Amino acid sequence: MSKKVSSISRRSLLATAGAALAAAPLGANLLHAQQGPIRIGMSMPQTGGLAGGGKASLLGIEIWRDDVNAAGGLLGRKVELVVYDDKSSASETPAIYSKLIDVDKVDLLFAPYATVPTAPIMPMVKQRGLLLIGNFSFQVNSKVGHDMWFNNAPWGPADSWATSFLDIGQKAGGKSMALLAADQEFAQNLAKTAREVAAKRNLPVVFDQAYPPATVEFSSIIRALKASKPDIVYVASYPPDSAGILRAVNEIGIGDNVKVFGGGMVGLQFGAVMENMGSLLNGVVNYNTWLPEKSMYFDGTKEFFDKYTKRAVEAKIDPLGYYLAPFGYASGQLIEQAIKAVGSLDQKALAKYLRENTHKTIVGPIAFSPDGERKETAVLQAQFRGVVDKNMEQFRTSGKQVILFPDNLKSGELIAPFEAARK
Amino acid sequence: MTRSSIAFWAGAAVFLAAVFVMTQVVGNQYPFFAGYIILQFIALAVAWSILGGYAGYVNFGTSAFYGVGVYASVFLVKAFGAPLPLQILAGAAMGALMGLALGLLTLRMQGIFFSIATIALTIVIETAITNWRYVGGAAGIQIQRPEVTAPFDNYVQMLFFVQALLVVLAVAISRYIQNSWIGRGLQALRDDELAAECTGVPTLRLKLLACVISGALMCAVGAPAAMYLQYADPASAFNLNYSVSTLAMSLIGGTAHWSGPIIGAIVLATTQQLLTVTISSEVNVLVLGVMLVLFVVGAPDGIIGLIARLRGNRGKGEA
Repeated sequence: MSKKVSSISRRSLLATAGAALAAAPLGANLLHAQQGPIRIGMSMPQTGGLAGGGKASLLGIEIWRDDVNAAGGLLGRKVELVVYDDKSSASETPAIYSKLIDVDKVDLLFAPYATVPTAPIMPMVKQRGLLLIGNFSFQVNSKVGHDMWFNNAPWGPADSWATSFLDIGQKAGGKSMALLAADQEFAQNLAKTAREVAAKRNLPVVFDQAYPPATVEFSSIIRALKASKPDIVYVASYPPDSAGILRAVNEIGIGDNVKVFGGGMVGLQFGAVMENMGSLLNGVVNYNTWLPEKSMYFDGTKEFFDKYTKRAVEAKIDPLGYYLAPFGYASGQLIEQAIKAVGSLDQKALAKYLRENTHKTIVGPIAFSPDGERKETAVLQAQFRGVVDKNMEQFRTSGKQVILFPDNLKSGELIAPFEAARK
Repeated sequence: MTRSSIAFWAGAAVFLAAVFVMTQVVGNQYPFFAGYIILQFIALAVAWSILGGYAGYVNFGTSAFYGVGVYASVFLVKAFGAPLPLQILAGAAMGALMGLALGLLTLRMQGIFFSIATIALTIVIETAITNWRYVGGAAGIQIQRPEVTAPFDNYVQMLFFVQALLVVLAVAISRYIQNSWIGRGLQALRDDELAAECTGVPTLRLKLLACVISGALMCAVGAPAAMYLQYADPASAFNLNYSVSTLAMSLIGGTAHWSGPIIGAIVLATTQQLLTVTISSEVNVLVLGVMLVLFVVGAPDGIIGLIARLRGNRGKGEA
């Protein structure tokens, strides 16, 4: 009796494993019929630390796919997305992109959200001469030098971020800077450029501290920062610490000489965090990518957010979705315009078109410099005003985050000093 | 040479030959990318099992060793442009030193306290690397691969073969230890360290040896990963996932025999790779969790234990 049971279970185990092994490439081959859909492959963080952003970004891309398919597709073919979860990790993406290229044989590639998962695939796409649309990674191409890379993010030149924030601070009379940055990839990149820009302008850095990512209690750091009496406080932090820093500032205060506070705080772009922080946000000048100010509406922007708002509820992701989702949609628009203009899927021709033209998207016109980043920065610096506690809907109205930079999108003037703006 | 040794070395030779032929014949890159990860986990699980299985010292610091291996390579490449074999050797040397330090810890700590200390080790080293700007610090670092050397025409194929060599090396060492006085001594100290010491087993020397070998192998496995990714950042290199997966693979396979971790790593790593490109969502985390629970409940001694039990039953039935 026992013999029979064991042999069946072993055999069925083998059969299941075999079937699973066979099914993966088979499914892909069946789908890859001639003149089938145009397939765009990507990995996207759907689990792990970057999952919140990854899901919102993916929804933006999916809305574009549905729009373009409703309008008849591209080159008479439907558009299909092939998406795998990279678990927010750099070690997963090389295998995934090899699968997309070699097994799934997708027509075009999008990069995953964020720098870390993107970095390992840059040498691979360069070596194979493939077009890659970047998704909010920071300076991943600076050392690789791939000429078929185009980043959808509004970053622009590496130092523009620090430049715009310090401009605002210096115009308000700032003569010294304090720098507070998390010991993590993105924050350290921002801190590095801020130091360089400050050095170039002979702006003394009176306080410069990195803190470990798991820090929750910031009162001692904020006290030390306050004691250094800076005029400009540049903070590069991640969501949990952004909240901790603002709470500490609220309790201890930051001193009357501080003109502007903020700059590179990640998390203050996400609905749930903003709702949670409420009035503590007032006065903070922070970066953003899209805001519901009059100057930010382009062709199709409003329609996009109508669709996003509905679908975000079902998908249980960021109900506002300002930070990443419209740029996911814009990635699709970039490739859509290039394919329509070129009339084929030839990657070299598409890259040439993308490099040489200005493209209309729902986040405004996009033009690329030779390194594949935006020609000009479109990172907004905006000041929180009149925010009340526990209210998500307030962030959908204009005036809650007044845009101070760039000039062509400006919707108001800075209120300084910081302590005055907090009231 | 005994019959089983001949069979083992013949098997290893066939395996390496098959891997080599594969690198020459298969043009599709995906099997090498996915296969590299699977081989890497086999080597890690086998190395882990030398300390965790034979000696019973549960080490949660696999990611610390792996990460040190990665960063040893990053440093050597950045500072001297060192070639791959040197990176692996340097990684192994670093790992041996770290293993020695870890072995000294076991003088004072056993059981759960030792395990907690190994987690602390990961955190300490990751923090140190995070603050070391020369190797990229928190921002990570991109590195360029050198030209590939003949007879391979692609770097990933070469890495795949190198990792296969490391697997054979790790398995051969693990098998040797199990069948020698070292293995028997480790087994004795796992069952009762005090009793083993009293009967003349040199427990400290054995523990140090196990730690050094296990550590050196884990670091050596991590070293080529820098070239595989062409990128390193502390959060990915010291990811706790390496510790947890390695431990799970050894336990699922069974730690009583050197082949247990191999089987466990093949099953689990292959499943992980397949799930990544099939289900590919939160569900794959769930599937792995369920698999672990099923194995813990259904096969507490791992697949090796399960097979032994089934064989035993069959033997009884036939008799």
